[in-house]
Amino acid sequence: MASAVSGRARPSALPIPAVRQVVRRNSYAAVPLALLIILFVVNAAVQPQFLSQQSWAASMAVLCPTVLTAMAVTLPVLSGNGGIDLSVGPLAGFMSVLIAAVLVPAGITTPELIIPIVIVFGALTGAINGFLVAYVRLPAIIATLGMYLFYQGLGTEVLPEAGGSVPVWLVKLNGSFGPVPAVWIVFAVIALIWTLVTRGSYPRNLLAVGGDERAAYTAGVNVARLRLITYSIAGVLACLAGLMLTGLIQSGDGTVGPPYTISAITAVALGGISLAGGRGGLLGGALGGGVLFLIQELLTDAHVSVFQVSIIDGIVLIFALALNGTVEHLRRRSSAARPG
Amino acid sequence: MNAVAEASRLVIHGMSRSFGETRALTSASLRVRPGEIHSLAGENGSGKSTLIKILSGVLRPDAGTLTWEGDVRKHLGSPSGAQRLGIATVFQETLVAPEMTVRDNIYLGTDRLFRYGRRKGEEVAGARQALGYLGLDGLGLERPMWTLSLAERQLTTIARAIIRPWRLLILDEATSALDAQHRDRLFDYLRQARSQGKSVLFTSHRMDEVLGLADHITVLRQGATVATMAVSEASRRGILGHMSGRADIIEVISAGPGPDGAVRGDRRRRPEAPPRPVLRVAGLALRATSEPITLEVRAGEILGLAGLEGQGQVEFVECLAGLRRAASGHVQALGEGGQARAVHSYRGANRLGIRYVPRDRRHEGLFGPLSVFDNFAVTLWSDFNRLGLLRRRVARKRFEEFTQSSRLVSASPGRPISILSGGNQQKVLLGRWIAMRPRVLVVNDPLRGVDANTKEELYGLFRRLAADGVPIVFLSTEIVELLTLTDQIGVFHEGSLVAMLPAETSSDTDVVAAMFGDGDG
Repeated sequence: MASAVSGRARPSALPIPAVRQVVRRNSYAAVPLALLIILFVVNAAVQPQFLSQQSWAASMAVLCPTVLTAMAVTLPVLSGNGGIDLSVGPLAGFMSVLIAAVLVPAGITTPELIIPIVIVFGALTGAINGFLVAYVRLPAIIATLGMYLFYQGLGTEVLPEAGGSVPVWLVKLNGSFGPVPAVWIVFAVIALIWTLVTRGSYPRNLLAVGGDERAAYTAGVNVARLRLITYSIAGVLACLAGLMLTGLIQSGDGTVGPPYTISAITAVALGGISLAGGRGGLLGGALGGGVLFLIQELLTDAHVSVFQVSIIDGIVLIFALALNGTVEHLRRRSSAARPG
Repeated sequence: MNAVAEASRLVIHGMSRSFGETRALTSASLRVRPGEIHSLAGENGSGKSTLIKILSGVLRPDAGTLTWEGDVRKHLGSPSGAQRLGIATVFQETLVAPEMTVRDNIYLGTDRLFRYGRRKGEEVAGARQALGYLGLDGLGLERPMWTLSLAERQLTTIARAIIRPWRLLILDEATSALDAQHRDRLFDYLRQARSQGKSVLFTSHRMDEVLGLADHITVLRQGATVATMAVSEASRRGILGHMSGRADIIEVISAGPGPDGAVRGDRRRRPEAPPRPVLRVAGLALRATSEPITLEVRAGEILGLAGLEGQGQVEFVECLAGLRRAASGHVQALGEGGQARAVHSYRGANRLGIRYVPRDRRHEGLFGPLSVFDNFAVTLWSDFNRLGLLRRRVARKRFEEFTQSSRLVSASPGRPISILSGGNQQKVLLGRWIAMRPRVLVVNDPLRGVDANTKEELYGLFRRLAADGVPIVFLSTEIVELLTLTDQIGVFHEGSLVAMLPAETSSDTDVVAAMFGDGDG
């Protein structure tokens, strides 16, 4: 995932300027990337079938909603001032209800219709979150908790029992095209769009607002509008996660979404992103999602019960936050000692 | 821009603004012409900052008119609105995004939401040029902001303002962290801009800056404009008189700072026998290449520290406070009986009674939403409790003593500290440390951005504390202040202590010479 949202720089001996810039902008992600590689190797070592093509495509399909919801939470967190989006899980889950219980019965089944509807739905929900945070000035954790409860309730209200049917193309998005898992194509499309977005000034504005809101405002950044847009993008990513989730569970289910909120926040912390904002990027959220998934894979392989997985998730969340703080501390100290 | 044809660039008339019950601005008027450097003067709490926030688009006034280049407006809308009109502002606080690079910080706010305002090449060239004007040619544009010194950060915020197409540049205490060299570069740039018909509005607590740079001065007192005059017709004494509105203050101030030695008369009498040493610095080398420092600070002594930006004086006070480890040597606190205990950490220094007052009050030490009283008492509760229960009455009494001795003007001790002006916040912060009855007080430029009258009051606080036998290590960027207040001035140059000058017999020229590594000791 080629995202680039970081203002962080570190002197580097790399020869090619473009490579140097990519490395510098994403250097916050060094720890999650290392974790991802280590966990990947460990997984491959303890369960040989992990690398087989069939299991590979299935794994990617399970991974996809986690990664996308983690990316969705990343952006509000980066915007600072306690920014967070708790509603991503229920919102993603509600997509399965919307598609299976509303759109398909109404005869709307083609991707040309469903994908735009899902995107607009996400943008509007995110815009409401953003409006409440940026203009009404509610604390993000409260405003998005309200949205969390709203979609959790709406999902089970519209569809009390899991069921309904989903279009075939959606299920295929979780399979593979030849040797390539279809999810990769989805990731590639999102990565391409995001790369185009981040070639502009959005990351700079976002990290400035997250880094020091007053500095950004007095310098002329439209802080409120930036936050509104940021929550809207988060909503779109959450709904895309919901689209993939719908294909994965192949039905509508109002209860499947909410757990993704916690896993997304854990993934953001694992992705090396400061919950205080102003430092990190979308890539961090994606890597954090991958790390979390690989941890859960290992636990599943070891036949750990669901409840114990939850215990371990909690420990991982706290560990990741503590690690973030420690890495940050060491970084500042090593740089402070450097003359100049 | 045809500057000559316009009589006025900016006219403010009858402007007012209140925050709850506090009337920050009651009737401010101001006129800035093209091709003019205009100084806005006033004590802390006179409404300067409020007026500047209105002029930069941060605040909207309650009433009054604002005429910008002939157009009458109620307000400027937002900071970006003010910038579009050609008004660029450098704020008193150094507002930066710490994780972002120097270049990103300079060009902050020049973009649309998704589209850059300029190409990267233009940004690099523009940033280099602006930093060049300010004497920071070598600063790496891709360095993250948090690795910069306070002075470099302040210069970066100035660069942020001057890369914009401005016709009015507002500088609110924008030179407070700068050394003489960088300040002179900035002033040269401002004079050059003036000759091109641009206008500058600035505030400064350094009277020599006001008199040396400005063409006109507007004085605010209690939210209203009380005088506007040409600098050629103004005197130091006259300006201070307008600012305070108190005739007796004029006398005190005119006899106060100034290398003529008038203040020496009321300097605290030194006892005959030399007081015992309280703090010993033994062979302390700040950097691997610097000369080791050995000195003793005696009870009741005020030791001044001076130096150009980044010459080691800040590292030295941080070593005293246990915040930094020196390359070699150590700092010892000496007890009554002469037993020496080394300082290893900040907590250790605190246990030994060494209290450190840091420089940046916005980030270090103040709790904005808490009340004035709570901010004062927050570090005192370890003294003011019985079996874990807080003794609020005792603390309240100590606070009242302090407000009287410091002449702290405060509506109510229960109001949040954020409503106080910067100088009064600084008083509370200092009062907190003084009330802890330190054995050694180490202060890092405590009077930065404090007006002349408040300074006099705070000098009094420091003098009384020293008279009680508490030694004070006083780092300051203002030489006059050191000459007025301290007994000895240690001057740093390139990481070493190069001179120890007795304040009574030294002149500011001696100090400056030593700061440039030119002293004879």
